[in-house]
Amino acid sequence: MEVLRLHNLQKSFGSVRALKSASFTLNEGEVVALLGDNGAGKSTLIKAISGVFPVDRGDIYVRGQRVSIRSTRDAMDLGIETIHQDTSLAPDLSIARNLFLGREPVNLKWLGVFAPLDLAQLRDAASALLKRVGISKKLDADALVSTLSGGERQSIAISRAMQFAAKVIILDEPTNNLGVEETHGVLRFVKEVRDAGHSVLLITHNIHHVFQVADRIIVMRRGEIVAEQTVADTDLLTVESIITGADMSALLKETRAK
Amino acid sequence: MTIAAEEEMPRAKRRSSLIRSPQFSSLVILIVLLAVFAIADANFLSPLNISNMMAFLPELGIIALGMTLLLTAGEFDLSVGAVFGLAPVVVMLLVQNGGVDIGVALLAGLLLCIAIGAINGLIVTKIGISSFLVTLSMLLVVRGAALYITQGFPLKSWDQPGFFVTLLAGSFNIGTFRFYTSLWWFIGLSLLAIYVLRYAKLGNWISAIGSNRNAAVARGVPADAVKIWLFILTSVLAGLAGMISAFRISAASPVAGTGYELEVIAMVVVGGTALTGGRGTIFGTIVGALMLRSIRNGIVLIGVPGLAYNIFVGVIILAMLILHALLQKNAARS
Repeated sequence: MEVLRLHNLQKSFGSVRALKSASFTLNEGEVVALLGDNGAGKSTLIKAISGVFPVDRGDIYVRGQRVSIRSTRDAMDLGIETIHQDTSLAPDLSIARNLFLGREPVNLKWLGVFAPLDLAQLRDAASALLKRVGISKKLDADALVSTLSGGERQSIAISRAMQFAAKVIILDEPTNNLGVEETHGVLRFVKEVRDAGHSVLLITHNIHHVFQVADRIIVMRRGEIVAEQTVADTDLLTVESIITGADMSALLKETRAK
Repeated sequence: MTIAAEEEMPRAKRRSSLIRSPQFSSLVILIVLLAVFAIADANFLSPLNISNMMAFLPELGIIALGMTLLLTAGEFDLSVGAVFGLAPVVVMLLVQNGGVDIGVALLAGLLLCIAIGAINGLIVTKIGISSFLVTLSMLLVVRGAALYITQGFPLKSWDQPGFFVTLLAGSFNIGTFRFYTSLWWFIGLSLLAIYVLRYAKLGNWISAIGSNRNAAVARGVPADAVKIWLFILTSVLAGLAGMISAFRISAASPVAGTGYELEVIAMVVVGGTALTGGRGTIFGTIVGALMLRSIRNGIVLIGVPGLAYNIFVGVIILAMLILHALLQKNAARS
């Protein structure tokens, strides 16, 4: 079932056409990898979907309904959660406070921003969530995020997206700066997220990771989508050649022939 | 059994993290300082001297509360000392030269402080200039305005007893101690600030903005609006402190509050609030305010020459900051 559909999205910054045209569909319970070299337009595309800036032209549909996303809040309300590398958590806040940042449970709601946090619920909900995603053993909900490893932080950020029943979770370079073991942990977590019924849009430089978790691959080059393939129908070399624009497999055949 | 064990663990952990927290070490040092001064000079703990310290304490302390929230959100305000001077000067000019009712004049002063804070906040957030540069310029503008409109002369302040004087600078005796109402203002505002920073939704936002602004914005936290309101709050508190001071000494001087911005920032960081944002403690600020006040008072009592005492104040502040930095490093290692 279709969760998110983009139709002919366009975005220019001055004379630079960062996004010439992008259309694709994301289905329920699917991991789609968005690949492309630097400057291919991946960041522009996800920023448009997550409400960082509006697009110049084009339509976004969530579950078949045409929507307009004007702010990050709009995107979150539509069930689109974006996890940027390094920018998703506040290190000086506890895990529990980070999990509910911007959506804090409060008592006396009529006090607005001065309403007292419901600390008991905050803690309980955070502990329950950590337990559900299987990382409660090691982590205390009251621990500061600054004391966590990079992999743990990614897991916390992804669990936060899951907790708000996000339909679409966008992961921007989730394995950057992570060690081998932590990377595997995060990738395993991505699979669990998919199995729980969420759709994932994964942006990464690392093609190997893509083949481990993705169901489908979308390749961008110079602001356009140049290829869209299921992982089963392609291989590493083909994808690599599409990204760079050079026909690597043909090149390889040539050298082998010699 | 296991449940009890699980309950025990975090509590013990919390206790040790409290002891290692910067506000706790500041408190220990405050107690040591007080003890040293008390032993060195018996007059330090005399009712008269304590009353004296308590009269000065709220004036800088009230500004420090606003500054703590602002620093926690990752910004600071160098114009507070100038606002402290300008607000009472404007109010008194309106009353004495304009024939305006004192209540109306105070309202005008309040609006002026709101405007100054709003301008600071808007330039910092919307144009994106660092708060250091914006508020440094504002310091010059505000101080210059105070000097110009008074032609440099101090004004006689409002000394007729009445509602506003009682409200801001009334005094009362408890035994042999003489306290000003400003102490109640400081206590009340402190409790409010502790509540906001630790327990309210807004406090969560303030810490998050200072800790990682992009993360806060990505979660839908209105970072710019929060910062602008904090600039306004800090300005208003500086103006309030200025009025309290002017009423207490019955004079409004255009140079009042010179250098207060740095003294206030020192109180805040000595208490353990991070200059880089994200980590703020009101309790630490109260300790910091008490510490700087008692240092200034104590070193005069124990006979340090007046001209030399800034050396001591500076050295003690430096020592505090080094201590915080070492504690921070230790915490990171464990």
